Amino acid sequence: MTTDGRAACVVGVGETRYAKWGGIADTSEYQLAVEAVLAAIADAGMTPDDVDGLASFAEDRNEATFMAADLGLPELRYASLSWLPGGGGACAAVANAAMAVESGAAEAVVVYRSLCQGQFRRFGQGPGNMPARVGPPRVPHVRRATSLLEAHVAFTMPFGMFSPPIAYAMVLRRHMHRFGTTVEQMGHVAVTTRAHAARNPRAVMGDRAMTMDDYLASRMVSEPFRLFDCCLENDGACAVLITTTERAADSAKGPVSVLGAAQGALKGFGHGQYSNVGMPDDDYASAGARGVAARMWARSGVGPSDIDVAQIYDHFTGLVLLSLEDFGFCGRGEGGPFAASGALAWPHGALPTNTHGGSLSEAYIHGLNHVVEGVRQLRGESTCQVDGAETCLVTSAAGVPTSALVLGRR
Amino acid sequence: MTERWFPDEMPMPAANAETVGWWEAAAAHRLVVQRCTACGHLRHPPGPVCPRCRSSASEWSALAGTGTVYTFTVVRQAFIPSLADKLPYVVVAVELDGAQGARIVSNLVDVEPEEVIVGMPVEVAWEDMGPELAVPRFRVAGHRGERR
Repeated sequence: MTTDGRAACVVGVGETRYAKWGGIADTSEYQLAVEAVLAAIADAGMTPDDVDGLASFAEDRNEATFMAADLGLPELRYASLSWLPGGGGACAAVANAAMAVESGAAEAVVVYRSLCQGQFRRFGQGPGNMPARVGPPRVPHVRRATSLLEAHVAFTMPFGMFSPPIAYAMVLRRHMHRFGTTVEQMGHVAVTTRAHAARNPRAVMGDRAMTMDDYLASRMVSEPFRLFDCCLENDGACAVLITTTERAADSAKGPVSVLGAAQGALKGFGHGQYSNVGMPDDDYASAGARGVAARMWARSGVGPSDIDVAQIYDHFTGLVLLSLEDFGFCGRGEGGPFAASGALAWPHGALPTNTHGGSLSEAYIHGLNHVVEGVRQLRGESTCQVDGAETCLVTSAAGVPTSALVLGRR
Repeated sequence: MTERWFPDEMPMPAANAETVGWWEAAAAHRLVVQRCTACGHLRHPPGPVCPRCRSSASEWSALAGTGTVYTFTVVRQAFIPSLADKLPYVVVAVELDGAQGARIVSNLVDVEPEEVIVGMPVEVAWEDMGPELAVPRFRVAGHRGERR
């Protein structure tokens, strides 16, 4: 990215409390979003009068236009919503904000995510295809689709492929078939991440220790995924404030640079393996992030061996293994052995990963909390601080069109 | 009506202009994929143009209904209540014979979950969910036994 005074950096992060699914009933999802945005602005030592842009991703219910008015922003000069679905767009939303400030379209853009799934339908439940809970019995028939996604998931949901754990269990089964990946290797991700969460007071599962035996004893959801292979579902919100290096000079905690970012999808990837099983075999049994990784490394000027700490999107343990492969920390098919070697564990692993506890153990805020943790690492504020960390990789959801970025101290 | 494996409460498919023909063929127990009549490329799910040559000319090409298991999962959680007494059930991706590598999501029925393996040959078994909706499930090829 640009290196002049307009180079994008993160100057503020904000979070609300994180709670279990449905755990926040007294505050609206929108109110939480606003609180997180205000917290990020305050963290930067700025005020809403300094902010002129808002960005989010994946069918966010909390429209930037309303938020700009409710926050009293002097003028909204930039607002965007990434097309990347589900958790694929957290880093893309940050990248879009970075492009906005680097181009001069805006000076300070807040990226936000708020999830109160107890107040709305669950993410990944499918768009209106679930059976009605009330009303007379109906004769099954073909309905008229109201979106492209509905017409696509008609080829999955009538077969009981209702939700992400089922779809991605099939991806891991294929990976196991091709490369010999094991359940215990996935378990290493769950156990390691839980240990990190134990040090993090924000982590929803911080007080729930997990051993490999606990992991193996958890109930089966969709083979090979057990309950503890699946991320949490939470209520909470977080936000990240992006501005230019020049503007960041007088910020409260100093800038964290966005060294490089990329977003997108492989040819024919569609919505990813969530609704597509037709892509080439090398893409199907992968995170689908190979292209994003190559472009992100090229733009950031660093490579896997330069990375001090990583926040890898962890909706499912197995997909962390596949992301490690796509981003080049190990070879194709070697994600399992890499995790089992202890590489992901703070403080002594080769690549301390998800040092906040991730979506498996801190909170599921669609991975924007992974960006927050990346910033914390480079400020030296993590509860699992990597000594002298100068670079942090942050990735968004594998298995859907996705995005990633490298944060740095420079 | 055919044999039934799944409850009426399963999600009903939604179709648009590009996909409705696939569901009409299914109702007549014909397993098809979309074939580009300009270049012969087969594609699934159906779409408005051929991703290879970008022609919008297409037809429905009937398949034999056989294939192999590309990957699978055994589902052990009832994501809708009426599936509780159907657990576990098997979701498969089937690589269809004669379809240029096209794959379809379906179910493998009348099989012990422990017996399912990648590469297993399978053949279509239609399930009439209603008078105008049939859904293609799959059985292990050559299966002629009673439902367990």
